[in-house]
Amino acid sequence: MAQIPKIVEQRLRAVATVGEHPDANLLGAFVERSLGKREHVKVLEHLSQCMNCREIVSLSATQPAVADVVSVGSASPSWLSWPALRWGAAVVCVMVVGAAVMLYQQQESHPVVSVAGENPVAPGSFTPNGTLGKAVASLQTPKSEPKAALAGKPTASGRRSNTANSADRNHEKPFEIADARPVSPFGEIVPGRAKEALAASQGVQSEPAMSDEEFFEANLAPRWTLSSDGTLQRSLDSGRTWEKIQVSNQTIFRALAANGFDIWVGGASGALFHSSDAGEHWKQVRPVVNGEALADDIIGVEFPDAVHGKLTSSAQEIWITADAGQTWQKQ
Amino acid sequence: MSSDGFQSEAAGFAGLESMVAAIYEKSRGQGFGLTRPEFESILQEIARKYLPVDAAQREICDLYISLRAEELALARGCAAGHEHAWEVFLTRYREKLYDIAGYITKESSAARELADSIYAELYGTVTRDGQRASKLASYTGRGSLEGWLRTVMLQEHVNRYRRQRRLVSLDEESEEGVQFAIAEPEPATAVDSRVEAAVDEVLAALPAEERFVLASYFLDERTLAEIARTLGVHESTISRKLDKLAKSLRKQILASLGRRGMSRRQAQEALEVDVRDLRVNIRSRLAQETGGPAFSKKKAEAPAGDGS
Repeated sequence: MAQIPKIVEQRLRAVATVGEHPDANLLGAFVERSLGKREHVKVLEHLSQCMNCREIVSLSATQPAVADVVSVGSASPSWLSWPALRWGAAVVCVMVVGAAVMLYQQQESHPVVSVAGENPVAPGSFTPNGTLGKAVASLQTPKSEPKAALAGKPTASGRRSNTANSADRNHEKPFEIADARPVSPFGEIVPGRAKEALAASQGVQSEPAMSDEEFFEANLAPRWTLSSDGTLQRSLDSGRTWEKIQVSNQTIFRALAANGFDIWVGGASGALFHSSDAGEHWKQVRPVVNGEALADDIIGVEFPDAVHGKLTSSAQEIWITADAGQTWQKQ
Repeated sequence: MSSDGFQSEAAGFAGLESMVAAIYEKSRGQGFGLTRPEFESILQEIARKYLPVDAAQREICDLYISLRAEELALARGCAAGHEHAWEVFLTRYREKLYDIAGYITKESSAARELADSIYAELYGTVTRDGQRASKLASYTGRGSLEGWLRTVMLQEHVNRYRRQRRLVSLDEESEEGVQFAIAEPEPATAVDSRVEAAVDEVLAALPAEERFVLASYFLDERTLAEIARTLGVHESTISRKLDKLAKSLRKQILASLGRRGMSRRQAQEALEVDVRDLRVNIRSRLAQETGGPAFSKKKAEAPAGDGS
């Protein structure tokens, strides 16, 4: 491979007058080749002398998504992305409808959802009553066309940590597709696994099924979202329908974290509420450190388990708890 | 480059006013809470940032046409705290923030921390006079909003990494004891100044892109693929460029040394000498002249703090 004399390497490395660094706008546009010739050369001139900026540009250029946004020839106006969004929406529709049809066919041949109601596989803490009990019983058959649940990133454990997310409302609003990743409300109800649950309950040997807790989380745990006006909404039927949940009269919520039936919501002026029964009852939690209460807006909430949590405030502070919110520390 | 395409598009507009009106409409700024005068003010701010004061109308038109108008309106709507703008922003970019952070840090908790801190800056804070201060107000639409977010996160990550490295280095020094701190080596004064001058002259005459390729490959140790990706060319193009550069650099430096009074043989020897070896030789010569024990090359290369 090419070699250069050591003295050349040394002189390349010698500190040059780097000048002002191009801002993120110019560096980003450079990577996407959106700059005019004059500016492109100017940025290259800086990059030839500045290791930090070279590093940033190189890392940015080698990220996989960059290939999708690099403009070739002229920079395409942003409105041209709409056709791509429409096609993306059409693809997701087809996938969601296909998943619904498959599930319907599975349920027709094996009424596994009704088994979930008759032989509850939920953990002992779950006692169907009130709205929740009815909702569980209502998971017998799918009622309506499924909608793409865009709230956060549902996982098999039902755990979710959301910042202000209003992607899904009741039936009125057509969904927007934010990215190409399709999300199906039936993604966690896997007919094959439900069949295993039925077989297990009848004493039939089968492949190792998901645990009771996993099945509960996948099929019975409520789903949550926040509307654009800061209202909390809950779905008990895997995102098919949603209802507003009254937590506090005046608070606008911006972030939530859900873990099974445990739900934490945070919002304006340090307001933080917790429910351990999927939103039936709420308790306000007041984060205080050294006598000083959290007064800034809460914009991020994470509770990976029942006791450990982390809040992000609009003042860029991190507040953590290891005892379910009884005491707090600033990170 | 994109400037030629912009010029033909700009020619279709009767004047700046009609262009601004058209761009505003395309940007959907109204839906993001921006009035037309506000949007026009944003465009003017961007023109002041990137163009000279006496820029011609055509240049201004070219700049405006090149902007990502819808993303610009979205970002500035978010910066102003408009709810619908935030709704759209989060729908489109929330997951991407975490994906980008994951790619940068390669570790989930660090990725989450990076994404959260950037998100807090984007969300902004309300200052004492009631104004909102959000990083999104600095997005100018020159490139995609996603690309801008990626660059912002990379800058933050690189800055954090360098701060940590400085702290770690200081910790290591204090653990080992101050007496082991090694002073920066003296510049290679033994190197013939004509060689340095010749090399500097040749490097300065190179196009910026070639210097960038040399620095990326030899100093940063980037791969050919990485450099090619950055410049938007094929890997083989970079490989050929480097080979060609290596040969022509040597030739040009020899020619420059010849103009500086060196013979061909002297010039070739000067280029063959390793700069580090020169420093070691000078040290050994200095030690001999002062009558101290002769330095063996091994001892001379050992770190200063090993008790020798």
